Amino acid sequence: MLNDVTFGQFYPTQSFIHRLDPRIKLLGLIAFIVLLFVANNFYSLLAVALIICIAIAAARVPFGRVLRSVKGILVILVFTAVLNLFFHGGETVYAEWWIIKITREGIIFTVFFILRLFFLVMASSVLTLTTTPVALTDGIESLLKPLKYIKFPVHELALIMSIALRFIPTLIDETNRIISAQKARGADFESGNIFKRIKAIVPILIPLLISAFRRADELGDAMDARCYSSSKNRTKYKKLKLGWRDLVAFLTIGALIAGVVLFNIYCADILPQFYEYIKLS
Amino acid sequence: MCEEYIIECENVKFSYPDSGVYAVNGVSLKLKRGEFLSVIGHNGSGKSTLARLLNGLLDADEGKITVLGMDIAEGKNAVEIRKHVGVVFQNPDNQMVASIVEDDVAFGPENIGVEREEIEGRIGWALKAVGMEEFRTSTPARLSGGQKQRIAVAGVLAIKPDVLILDESTAMLDPKGRREVIEVVKKLNKEEGMTIILITHFMEEALLADRTIVMNKGEIALEGTPEEIFTSGETLETFNLSLPRTSVISENLRKAGMQINNVLRPEELADEINKNFVSCGIYGGQSSICKEKPIESTHEWDIDVNDLTFTYSKKSPFATKALKGVNLHIDEGEFFGIIGHTGSGKSTLIQHLNALIKLPQAQKRYKKPKAKKGQPTPVISHISVGQFDLGSKKCDFKALRASVGMVFQYPEYQLFAESVFADVAFGLKNFKKGISKEEIEEAVKRSIEIVGLNYEEVKDKSPFDLSGGQKRRVAIAGVIVTKPQILILDEPAAGLDPKGKNEIMELLHKLHREWCKTVIIVSHDMDEVADNCTKACVISNGQVFACDAPHKIFKRADELKALGLDIPLTAKIAQGLAKNGIIIDSDCTVSDFSDKVIEVYNHGKAVDGGEADA
Repeated sequence: MLNDVTFGQFYPTQSFIHRLDPRIKLLGLIAFIVLLFVANNFYSLLAVALIICIAIAAARVPFGRVLRSVKGILVILVFTAVLNLFFHGGETVYAEWWIIKITREGIIFTVFFILRLFFLVMASSVLTLTTTPVALTDGIESLLKPLKYIKFPVHELALIMSIALRFIPTLIDETNRIISAQKARGADFESGNIFKRIKAIVPILIPLLISAFRRADELGDAMDARCYSSSKNRTKYKKLKLGWRDLVAFLTIGALIAGVVLFNIYCADILPQFYEYIKLS
Repeated sequence: MCEEYIIECENVKFSYPDSGVYAVNGVSLKLKRGEFLSVIGHNGSGKSTLARLLNGLLDADEGKITVLGMDIAEGKNAVEIRKHVGVVFQNPDNQMVASIVEDDVAFGPENIGVEREEIEGRIGWALKAVGMEEFRTSTPARLSGGQKQRIAVAGVLAIKPDVLILDESTAMLDPKGRREVIEVVKKLNKEEGMTIILITHFMEEALLADRTIVMNKGEIALEGTPEEIFTSGETLETFNLSLPRTSVISENLRKAGMQINNVLRPEELADEINKNFVSCGIYGGQSSICKEKPIESTHEWDIDVNDLTFTYSKKSPFATKALKGVNLHIDEGEFFGIIGHTGSGKSTLIQHLNALIKLPQAQKRYKKPKAKKGQPTPVISHISVGQFDLGSKKCDFKALRASVGMVFQYPEYQLFAESVFADVAFGLKNFKKGISKEEIEEAVKRSIEIVGLNYEEVKDKSPFDLSGGQKRRVAIAGVIVTKPQILILDEPAAGLDPKGKNEIMELLHKLHREWCKTVIIVSHDMDEVADNCTKACVISNGQVFACDAPHKIFKRADELKALGLDIPLTAKIAQGLAKNGIIIDSDCTVSDFSDKVIEVYNHGKAVDGGEADA
């Protein structure tokens, strides 16, 4: 049963990261992702890991909550990691069997791959844990604004996202109600094989779809009645404002990028004898 | 052009594509600035279509609509007119675009290009006008129906319209929410001088207007002050509307020789009756105590609920206690009413009765809680329905659900199959595996017929092609098809017009007589409970406030009011009579109440006459 009252993963506390402008957080995430792929050796990757730990500490969310988000991709992670390990290929071969070849390059690449994905998911969950979905939509809309000049419907996209967010709780309620009603008529959603279960969803799906269309119809009328038209004279009530925190965050992100890039260039000299074991070829 | 009228319609006609009949057929209407107009009419009479024509959501086929001197059909006037004519629709959930109240209210002003600073001011003003300032940054998902609808009103107000149309905006709300919205509308009309068009099924609401029109078959059938309209007697019935209860009582009393003027409010009617008593010299008097009809039953299917507690989202920051120790016994054979507000816990309660919500000890992973030292041992909730022990893991929940039928609110929204037959048969096939085709056909036929539909006519139709009332009947048929012993219905009459409500209630009585042993309805309409139920309980704040025969519950009027609940009209009149020392102890139905008043009247007259002779 869908009985989560809240959706999204927003973790309600007041922290430095929580109060940042959503645009800065989005840009920060993008910068972080770029860094992940710029980092080509373990020193740099260590620096990146440090960044994420600092971010989690500054966001004052439990470390466990962030780790839990990785669970969702664990299966994909293991699967691709195994494929990479066996089939990556390379020069220094450690073991070989049939078409499977385990090489040093393969091992390094796989470890890199796992860590990158790991950090990526962690970083994005820091974003979703500290930003409400509404703020996130506002941020996305604001960042996409320049695309208006190439006639990309930024406002419409933002409105679609906003309406979707608004209706998620309503539709979850509706789904629960329909499930209960069909259960009361003896419908069974918990037993039987996969085909039976898929078939059992029909009595939920059809009323849900019909209701969604009915709601969409009424919503359209209500929006029309409130003078909605895609005219250019539309104003925007909410404006995002940057504060001192955002400046601090912005400078920090800049410094971090510079740091990782420098690491990439100069760390070959730190312990040259190990370097070939920790760099991505 | 005459500035006096804010809206003028001349012989307006409109038909929906493919329908062939005019939904609005030659309506002419003039509305003054600051006027309060109420529109009544049965479902499908063209009321909502008229509302959509007046603000340009639909274009008239014929005739002319002028708003503030602008012809709605000309050029871009329709868009301009929407700034002046705002509409609030029925379902508050389907009118909001944003997840934060202030963003939603800002939507309208943003659309018409109001400057940012000004929008800020308008949001404040609009939210103040509907009394929702403190919810400015809340999310609508956590508000009550009445609160949500007030936000919808604020969203329209922020555009600063001259005319506000409410298209059955109170139909989906409970009495408390309805009062909240109506208070706002009254205030806007009186204090802001806003022109109001109120489309409604509720007489109390229509009475607030300066003028009322009755729609029937797309035409204006009657027009006048609300008093004139509602006292016009049987003509109302010809337009598929039901007579107000006050009129029925007045008529009964007049037949008995009392002088009763046509009035509509219970206090006024009490005054009218008192006048009669006083003029005959009757001060004080009592009707015979209402006798309770004992329910004959074998008590095989009694329902027993003991210490039922339930908490939603346990162990999360959003945990809410829905039930706080409910004790309830429902005898087999009752027509039982459960009264309570939205959020009082009544829906949670009924979902326990057929184990849609299972008791903790009946769940697979249940472990007995260990008693902590120094604390009383936790109370274990317990429910039994007939033979079924709902607290046992071994309970056959499927058999239980076949015996306890449950019809949810707006059950027509749960229809899904390609034909009426398949939809009704759905439950039967689920509960009785391996049942023969003939048996299914027989059972489906019988249940479709008992809900008052023609089997041959509807069985192959898609349920979505039926009318609203028919859909609800099909949905009910789909539940009773297993021949449950107990039938539970959550707000069976919600959203129907008065006539539809009466028809559904008649159907339920028929089912009670011929089909199911016990019928339980959840309702917040006190007149409905008074008219129909043999016994009722009031649930408030997760507990049973009272459980008794309805007329006994309604004697505790002051306590009910404190809970934000209403009492039936007859009980209100009885209160007014009590001021004159006349105690009417009726079962709160219109007919019994009238009889008892007449009884006191005749008895008083006889005694009085006797004294005069002596």
